[in-house]
Amino acid sequence: MELVKCSNLCKSFDNKKILDNINLVIPRGKIIGLLGKNGMGKTTLLKLINDLLTPTNGEISINGEKPGINSKRIISYLPERTYLDKGMTISQILKFFEEFYEDFNKKKALKLLKDLDLDVNVKISKMSKGMQEKLQLILVMSRDAELYILDEPLGGVDPATRDYILDTILSNFNEKASVIISTHLISDIERILDEVIFIDKGKIVLTSSADELRTKEKASIDEIFRRKFKC
Amino acid sequence: MLKKLLKYDLKWCFKPLVVFYILALFFSIITRFIESLDKTLMVVIIDKICSGIVIAMLINILINCFMRNWVRVIRNVYKDESYLTHTLPVSKSKIYLSKVLTSSITLLVSLGVILLCLAIVCLNDTSWIALKQSLEQSAIFLNSTIFSLVAVLILTVFFEFLFVIMAGILGIIIGHRANNLKIIKSLISGFSIYMLLSICSLGIIYVSGFFNSDITSIFSNMEISSEAMKSIMLIGTIIYAIYIVVIYIISNKLLDKGVNVD
Repeated sequence: MELVKCSNLCKSFDNKKILDNINLVIPRGKIIGLLGKNGMGKTTLLKLINDLLTPTNGEISINGEKPGINSKRIISYLPERTYLDKGMTISQILKFFEEFYEDFNKKKALKLLKDLDLDVNVKISKMSKGMQEKLQLILVMSRDAELYILDEPLGGVDPATRDYILDTILSNFNEKASVIISTHLISDIERILDEVIFIDKGKIVLTSSADELRTKEKASIDEIFRRKFKC
Repeated sequence: MLKKLLKYDLKWCFKPLVVFYILALFFSIITRFIESLDKTLMVVIIDKICSGIVIAMLINILINCFMRNWVRVIRNVYKDESYLTHTLPVSKSKIYLSKVLTSSITLLVSLGVILLCLAIVCLNDTSWIALKQSLEQSAIFLNSTIFSLVAVLILTVFFEFLFVIMAGILGIIIGHRANNLKIIKSLISGFSIYMLLSICSLGIIYVSGFFNSDITSIFSNMEISSEAMKSIMLIGTIIYAIYIVVIYIISNKLLDKGVNVD
């Protein structure tokens, strides 16, 4: 059974169609790039999969079920914004994740935090935005989830941090799991992608294996993307 | 899971409230102490200032209790923190139930602290006897006991305030179903629900007058008999309890249909 299946999925805000008739299947054990320019519907699609938005039309199934408690048990989601309670310390956040997610590996999280030299007694509000994003990535990647959904994990960070983020993703995700990475910074993640999905104006315009696409078009994914979405 | 949600909700709501509780209790004790001193001009001035602070603190506790619960719902269910709340393996009805229980507990504790502060400031031998006498008179007038009178009074006040908080939460849920001007729409919805149901309460009491001559006399002669008073307190408590249950069911159904976070 496919991990995620979207059938005729539509989402509108005030009669403005953000997603238009999306049909999509996410297989298991793949790293998938959800690629598109800003404002083309990537975040909306990920929010729908995570039950943060309600579809206007169509259906989403995760492991054959509608988004709900069971899907949330197996999806580890990194949103594009900081979502932690700023009044809490890192150790309190770790405890929170441990209490709510059965698959949360605290040892792994502590090891990753140690690599960053982060004191667990620091309050979130005292951390820079960049550090908060890294902390969120550590929390998300410390779960043994079946699907990791990372929304713009590289957005607004320096190249050195991008490498850290990609290394953290690659070295920490469960190999049987799938990873969906939404981004417009394609050159940075191209090397790790198994499959790509191009999204434009709320529609899926291309789905393909990354290698097949590169061979067929005789160009990198980044070049293909630039050609396809030239302004 | 409900216990865990409740733990974090209560922690968040009580964090600033506890500070106000301590301050209110501190100034209540100071006021009581100052009142026991000889009444020089300076002591009287300080006494007035302290009494003012205590009153301000008690109002502050109540307003903060309301606001804190509403802000918790907005932040936790619709703003940035909602990205964590809605991706926890917990049903939306449990998330909502946790908010309702948090509101009830914070309200109960806040009312308890308010009563305690008032007791510290006002209660002495003379006022205790006066209070006891007036309660006894009211109980006799209502053909009841002091205990049940106090219990019904506390229950009515608690239900009335809980109804205000829950009407506000329903307003927030309705307001956030829109795609823009969510806070304004939440305020309008919450206020409209409160006003509409309050008018309904009056209507129900008026209609119940058709079946109860004691209640009719309130509207016709503006006289309140002991029987009418008892009936109104009973009907009022039942009406608020029903409102709370209805608002709970509607809010739950709306949340179950799904959310659209910011």
